[in-house]
Amino acid sequence: MALLEAKAVTKIFGGLVAVGGVDLTVEERTIASLIGPNGAGKTTLFNCLTGLYRPEEGDILFDGASLVGLRSDQIVALGMARTYQNIRLFGSMTAIENVLVGQHVRLRSTPLGAIFQSPGTRREEQRAEQYARELLAFVGLAGKGDMVARNLPYGDQRLLEVARALGSRPRLLLLDEPAAGMNPRETDAMMALIHRLRDELGITILLIEHDMKVVMSISDRVSVLDYGKKIAEGRPAEVRSDPRVIEAYLGASVLAGHND
Amino acid sequence: MQWLVRGLGLLGIALLIWRVATVGLAENYPLSFWMSQAINGLVLGGVYALVALGYTLVYGILLMINFAHGEVMMIGAFTGVFALQFFTALGWMSGPTTMVILALLLIAAAGMLGSIVTGVTLERVAYRPLRGAPRLVPLISAIGASLFLQYSVLLVFGVSPRTYTKPPLLEGGFRLGDVFVPYTGVIIFGASLLLMLALYLIVQRTKLGKAMRAVAEDKGTAALMGIDVDRVIVFTFILSAALAGAAGVMLGFHNTVVKFNSGFIPGIKAFTAAVLGGIGNIPGAMVGALLLGLIEAIGPSALGIPTEYKDIIAFSVLVIVLIFRPSGLLGEVVSEKKA
Amino acid sequence: MRLRSLQRGSRIGAIAFAILTYLILIGLPTRLGAPAMSVLALLAALIFWLALRGGKSKQAFANRAPAPLFLTGTTAGFVAGLLTALLTAGFAQLLMSGVNVQPYLDKIVPMNMAALYGVMPGALVAGEAPAWGWLWQMAFVTLAGVGGALLVLIERALRQRTWSVGGATRWLAILLPFILLGFVIWLGNPAVTLGGNAKGTLRLLMAMAAIGSGLFALRAARPGREQRVLALLLFVGLACLPFTLDQFQNSVMGIVFIFVMMGLGLNIVVGFAGLLDLGYVAFFAIGAYVYAFLSAPFASPAFSSLLTSLGIPAAAPLTSFWLAIPITMVAAGVGGVLLGIPVLRLRGDYLAIVTLGFGEIIRLFMLNLSDLTNGPRGMLNIAPPYLFGYSFGNPRDIFILALLGAGVIAFTAHRLDGSRLGRAWIAMREDEDVAQATGVNLVRTKLLAFAIGALFAGLAGQLYAARQMNIFPDNFTLFVSVDTLSLVIVGGMGSIPGVVLGALALKGLPEVLRGVDEYRIVAFAALLVIMMIVRPEGILPSTRRRRELHSGNEPGAEVAPEPIRIGALTQEGGKA
Repeated sequence: MALLEAKAVTKIFGGLVAVGGVDLTVEERTIASLIGPNGAGKTTLFNCLTGLYRPEEGDILFDGASLVGLRSDQIVALGMARTYQNIRLFGSMTAIENVLVGQHVRLRSTPLGAIFQSPGTRREEQRAEQYARELLAFVGLAGKGDMVARNLPYGDQRLLEVARALGSRPRLLLLDEPAAGMNPRETDAMMALIHRLRDELGITILLIEHDMKVVMSISDRVSVLDYGKKIAEGRPAEVRSDPRVIEAYLGASVLAGHND
Repeated sequence: MQWLVRGLGLLGIALLIWRVATVGLAENYPLSFWMSQAINGLVLGGVYALVALGYTLVYGILLMINFAHGEVMMIGAFTGVFALQFFTALGWMSGPTTMVILALLLIAAAGMLGSIVTGVTLERVAYRPLRGAPRLVPLISAIGASLFLQYSVLLVFGVSPRTYTKPPLLEGGFRLGDVFVPYTGVIIFGASLLLMLALYLIVQRTKLGKAMRAVAEDKGTAALMGIDVDRVIVFTFILSAALAGAAGVMLGFHNTVVKFNSGFIPGIKAFTAAVLGGIGNIPGAMVGALLLGLIEAIGPSALGIPTEYKDIIAFSVLVIVLIFRPSGLLGEVVSEKKA
Repeated sequence: MRLRSLQRGSRIGAIAFAILTYLILIGLPTRLGAPAMSVLALLAALIFWLALRGGKSKQAFANRAPAPLFLTGTTAGFVAGLLTALLTAGFAQLLMSGVNVQPYLDKIVPMNMAALYGVMPGALVAGEAPAWGWLWQMAFVTLAGVGGALLVLIERALRQRTWSVGGATRWLAILLPFILLGFVIWLGNPAVTLGGNAKGTLRLLMAMAAIGSGLFALRAARPGREQRVLALLLFVGLACLPFTLDQFQNSVMGIVFIFVMMGLGLNIVVGFAGLLDLGYVAFFAIGAYVYAFLSAPFASPAFSSLLTSLGIPAAAPLTSFWLAIPITMVAAGVGGVLLGIPVLRLRGDYLAIVTLGFGEIIRLFMLNLSDLTNGPRGMLNIAPPYLFGYSFGNPRDIFILALLGAGVIAFTAHRLDGSRLGRAWIAMREDEDVAQATGVNLVRTKLLAFAIGALFAGLAGQLYAARQMNIFPDNFTLFVSVDTLSLVIVGGMGSIPGVVLGALALKGLPEVLRGVDEYRIVAFAALLVIMMIVRPEGILPSTRRRRELHSGNEPGAEVAPEPIRIGALTQEGGKA
């Protein structure tokens, strides 16, 4: 059974069909990509998957359980986390604190426990901080835990968003343009990280990306959206030479003169 | 949680209807009673509408609630009463009808001018420096400005109320069937409608109005299109204050007195009206205000509670609207901003 | 260059004139009596100093060469002086020609004008104002302009000696509270006559200054052992205070610390969780009235008849002060949850307005439900706390209780701050949607904030009722909420020492400066506006708060450009 199954998901804003009847399947331990021209509805689909929007039609199954109608924090508890197209860290908190918030849903301590510093609370907090440092090291931010998130360089902020998402021990990680605005070196590092997420931590990845180099080199499977509909799907090489995809990106007139 | 709130809401509505049926209607007031209450309500509503429009204009363009707007109105009322005293001293108020009318217009203009000066200064000193700050900061500044204006007026002009003596021309009224309609009521309502119409024309038909709408929509892009955002904002405040000043003078004649804190309660009520109609929405402010005026006038009798409670009615309406329909009656239900 | 100085000077002068006119209109010169002109000139010099020193950026400040600075200052002073002189001259003319300003302005204004000349008001009207009085005014204010420029230069000179926070300044900061405390105790000796009639006020002022400087000392101390030892010593010093101050002073400190309790509670709601509650007074009122019901049930007509029918003797409190504590706190807490449920979806300004509405509704209910609360006549004869049979209700004891209460609340708030819940609050405050999408249960987190904040307000309310012994609905107006919010904001939002400082400044100082009571509110209101413009994070903010409000001014912060995607379906998030 696929880890994530979106069936005929439809999201309408006013009169605009942002996402129209999209099916998407992501198998466990794979890296899937969602691509398409600007305005195709990719982020909207993400928002439906994570519970920020409620789709008008369709269903979303995570490990067999329906997600539609659940709150985003409930979805995180089930094991799906995400990062954002425009970085949305908790700017005034330190890197460590950001990752600790990421762990919020997995921690159990209560306010009373915090006030009286019960042994259970203290142990849990220590373990949580330890784990947060490990996560930071994993993504490549070792030693920067006490820096204020807002002051981190751009590339590090993107990595921190990933670390924060990892805090909830997700089984599926949604990455919204993780390499946006990065130089080639940072992009390579991000790609390596994504691989390690799958290979070492066993996390399934679904990512939105515009950088074709990234998409083609790390994806197991690529789905293409255009104007809210899925127009192609398959392995990277298949999708890249699909005429419908080319038309969507470059326009029909270029089709005749297309060169690889 | 949603269903809990909804359920309580329906329960509340049911209770209200039951109360009106058993108490309000049981009293068997004659129709003329309800009609005169309604007329009272419309007159009040007209005044509230002018102030509510002020709130809505500023909110639309700056996305902030101008807490001190009630005080802007109050200062207009004060300026008006001084003008009234001035003209009375000159003898205009007891002269021929044309003189009285001219004097009244000048008084209204004086009130509007006083409010405009206050409003523009307010924007320049307390709001402009805080344009980009998080929501809390301009809000506190507005609260501070409101208190400052109120108590400065107290210090400078003293605590005793100033009287708006009605010239003989405005006394009395006429009969519409069984109902007595005061002249002041008709004049106020008419003037309010005229001003609202004027505002509508300015916003929809003039170049400055178009600039206002552009800035309200998207400040950054408007600036890129060559619109002087600061000037437009000042103009918005001028319009908003002018309406408030006129309202202040009218309310002065209606209530006969003004005090340093005369702006507070009407300010909150007008704000309620703006929210009721949908804040940021001009027709909404007008509709909301008329509705609130009616509710306030008819409410106590319909619900069988003493008139002192009419302020609670206004507050309750505010709370209820913001909880159940924050976008107001005519506002669009904006889907919440997401990632 | 010269023209620019003149222009700038004229502008500053005009603004100073406006401010001076305002001060004249609100009656300041009469208050000051004889030295009115000198004091106004002094105030003018301060205004000029602030205006001339330029903006916050160090560059502009450092580059002001003395000559143009003096030119600007003199121009500003001259313009302000000229305008003020014209104003008072014109006014004097009006009065002398018999125009009756009574209907328009309060009596105070002519008296002020006279005071500015140093003559009696009657003299003005009688035409006896000295002709050269106007020249004196102009001279004074022009001098003030020069003085302002001088102050700028002095400040610059002082700044250039680099005062590092290490070394001597640090020790001074640490020792200061104890020095001041020593003074307070020494002055308490009846044999010491320093200060004469104002000795009591002086002692009170120094006591407050001691506490305030203690807060700064904590900031200056090195974290770790040094800070902990200092905190212990300060605590001991603080504990001495109630025993050395007199009744009135203890009474003032008592109310200050009741407001510290309120501020700390509101700090949790507004400072930690970012929920703008303008109706906080509602929980204060619930706490006070519940304790009133419990300790003076017969003050309420409804309870009175109920209890008589049950055979309970008249005038007996139902429970002791101490047992009532959990009851009032729970009642207030429940109130907090009830308030929180309907407003869960509201944000920012809307939340503020609705909570304001709730606060007013509660007050109006207390006022109008006379059967239950005895309405405007209030609940009377509330019992003070009893400890082992001894009444614990005199001002000193109330102060001690308030100190204890504040301590408990501060401790709890501090523990919560670094906890899982505390982090959830901060995340929620920064970006609610993302917090939820990161796993924070918004409903629970918000309700906890409201409930915990309300609990503490209820506790403060109970203590307040015990102190006042009679409470009336008028004690619980919107003002209390605004006061509490202001002291949190001015003191430093999200910061526990900041709240204490705010309470001292906004509740304590006005008591000391009783003489100028009528200016209290305008000064307070002006302070709010000025603080928001100049230092929105408060006087002693938590480090996090300062980061939030001055982002981008940090040295070394790299500002990364956001990728521009034209036509992308990007949904903007973050602060509105």
